[in-house]
Amino acid sequence: MENMVNYNPSFAEEVFRDVDSGDEIKMCMNCGVCAGSCPLREHMDYPPRQIFGLIRAGKREAVLSSKAIMLCTSCYTCVVKCPRDIPVMDVMHGLAHYALKQGYVPRKDTANFGKEFWNQVYKLGRIDEKDLPRRVFFAGGFVEGIKAMLNFMDIGLKLMLHRRMKLLPERKIKGVKLLQKMLDKAEGLGKGGIAA
Amino acid sequence: MADVQTTNQSILVVGGGMSGITAALEAAEAGYEVVLVEKNPYLGGRVTQLYQYFPKLCPPNCGLEINFRRMRQNPKVRFFTMAEVAGISGQEGDYDVTVKLSPRYVNEKCTCCGKCTEVCEVEIDNPFNYGMDKIKAAYLPHEFAFPMRYVLDPSIAGTDEGKKCLDVCEYGAIDLEMEETSFDLKVGAIVWAAGWDPFDAAKVDYYGFGEYKNVITNVMMERMAAPSGPTEGKILRPSDKKEPKNIAFIQCAGSRDENYLPYCSGICCLASLKHTTYVRELYPDCDVTIFFIDIRALDRLEDFYTKVQEDEKVVFIKSKIANITEDEETGGLLLEGENTRTGEQILMNFDMVVLATGMVPNKIEIDAAPDVSYDEYGFLINDPEKTGIYGAGCVRRPTDVASSVQDATAGALKAIQSIARR
Repeated sequence: MENMVNYNPSFAEEVFRDVDSGDEIKMCMNCGVCAGSCPLREHMDYPPRQIFGLIRAGKREAVLSSKAIMLCTSCYTCVVKCPRDIPVMDVMHGLAHYALKQGYVPRKDTANFGKEFWNQVYKLGRIDEKDLPRRVFFAGGFVEGIKAMLNFMDIGLKLMLHRRMKLLPERKIKGVKLLQKMLDKAEGLGKGGIAA
Repeated sequence: MADVQTTNQSILVVGGGMSGITAALEAAEAGYEVVLVEKNPYLGGRVTQLYQYFPKLCPPNCGLEINFRRMRQNPKVRFFTMAEVAGISGQEGDYDVTVKLSPRYVNEKCTCCGKCTEVCEVEIDNPFNYGMDKIKAAYLPHEFAFPMRYVLDPSIAGTDEGKKCLDVCEYGAIDLEMEETSFDLKVGAIVWAAGWDPFDAAKVDYYGFGEYKNVITNVMMERMAAPSGPTEGKILRPSDKKEPKNIAFIQCAGSRDENYLPYCSGICCLASLKHTTYVRELYPDCDVTIFFIDIRALDRLEDFYTKVQEDEKVVFIKSKIANITEDEETGGLLLEGENTRTGEQILMNFDMVVLATGMVPNKIEIDAAPDVSYDEYGFLINDPEKTGIYGAGCVRRPTDVASSVQDATAGALKAIQSIARR
């Protein structure tokens, strides 16, 4: 049978030990509700249940380089429906962080966006609605950046109209130092830590 | 009615379903005085609502008839319908129990002539068919009801409608003055056999039960297949009363799920397999798909599973369905999920969906309830430290009729031991 694999617990043990929420997958009973309810199912190479199956089968490479672990949009549908109370979403995020830490970049754009988003939150305590897209759009080069900017012009104008985006740079929130202290502490609590 | 004399050598059995009847008869036939109380206006419980038993596919009526005859012949058993336990105090060997009797508005003179039903114009949801049809507010609970006696719904008791029934009855069987009464019992031991309720499938909102007409539950399917049911034995789509061309069964609907019932009820797999035989016998062209996580068909019951598997119109797909959406125009249902054997996404249309829901035990829910032990899911444990009150049947674990009968016999023996050791 094509699907037959030899049981190799070493990667599963690594996930249980080192990935945030990684030990939660021990509860999985293979019902497939996460995959059946995921709105991004069609874009995933492996839906969550199969990711868990691959972990149990010891397929380290396939899991850490899979697109699926970076596609989760935190919609919570799988978390709400999981009959085994697994925070599927947290496991997927945990795996994404871990993959990046291990030098895998399954989706470059997603990783880049996450990094820029995080840096801004850390620095300002908020998101600058024009600076973040600028950084993300121009990561691929000048021409790509201009193209992306033009694509999003409508949204940009609306954001300005509703004063969600200001012309001047955003200022830091009050007590950003305290926020940073909190974030640092949270980072220390995680198993995988924050991706560089 | 409340002229019942009992002592601390008597046994109280709560619940007149298969477990309660068995426990009461076994104890009575061993020579003990037994009082049986039943909440419904008839005995037999959930079993009376079944069309056929698995795995033999025989009707439950004959077994019930035998038990009712044992009961009629045995002066040691007294039973009360429309009766509920309102209070229990004392300890093993010496309980004081209060029983509340709801008014039936019909006395023992009733001959079941049916005149009251004829004149009554008010209709109520039929509880016997899970509200799938209506009955007159003066009614016989079901055609094999024991005791064979009509009931008036309390909603018409004080109205002109009730007066009409009173006037038409030639036997003086209707008594609109009946009120709730209660009486006290002294017993030495109690068998709690209050049975189970079907899990409320509406709680699993993504299956749309209660919202989508063509999503029904397994207990409703049982009534639909029964000739005495709301569709006279025809399995029809509730939305347009048409014969379904393909039916899906969703196993573990709310069961084995930390959000609802974390346990397996143990009977729903066989129930769905049995329902499949109902469908296939009725409609030779109808396709049946059973979505399951695991099929639980133990011991000899596996033969039944194998037999159903041999039917080429029946498909088994390993998947927990994640969502149902209704086509408002056709009433058709779109099921989504993941086939966990192939990894493929499931997007399939069905005319009708049956949710295999589990059992919720009826705990002792009265004021100042006696100290008994329950497991983490609410099933009664016969704790050796707390003797005197014993669970029997589905209050102790979700199980089938045959096991309930065995368990109730054990319950009767435990109750006898509680009395005999004084």
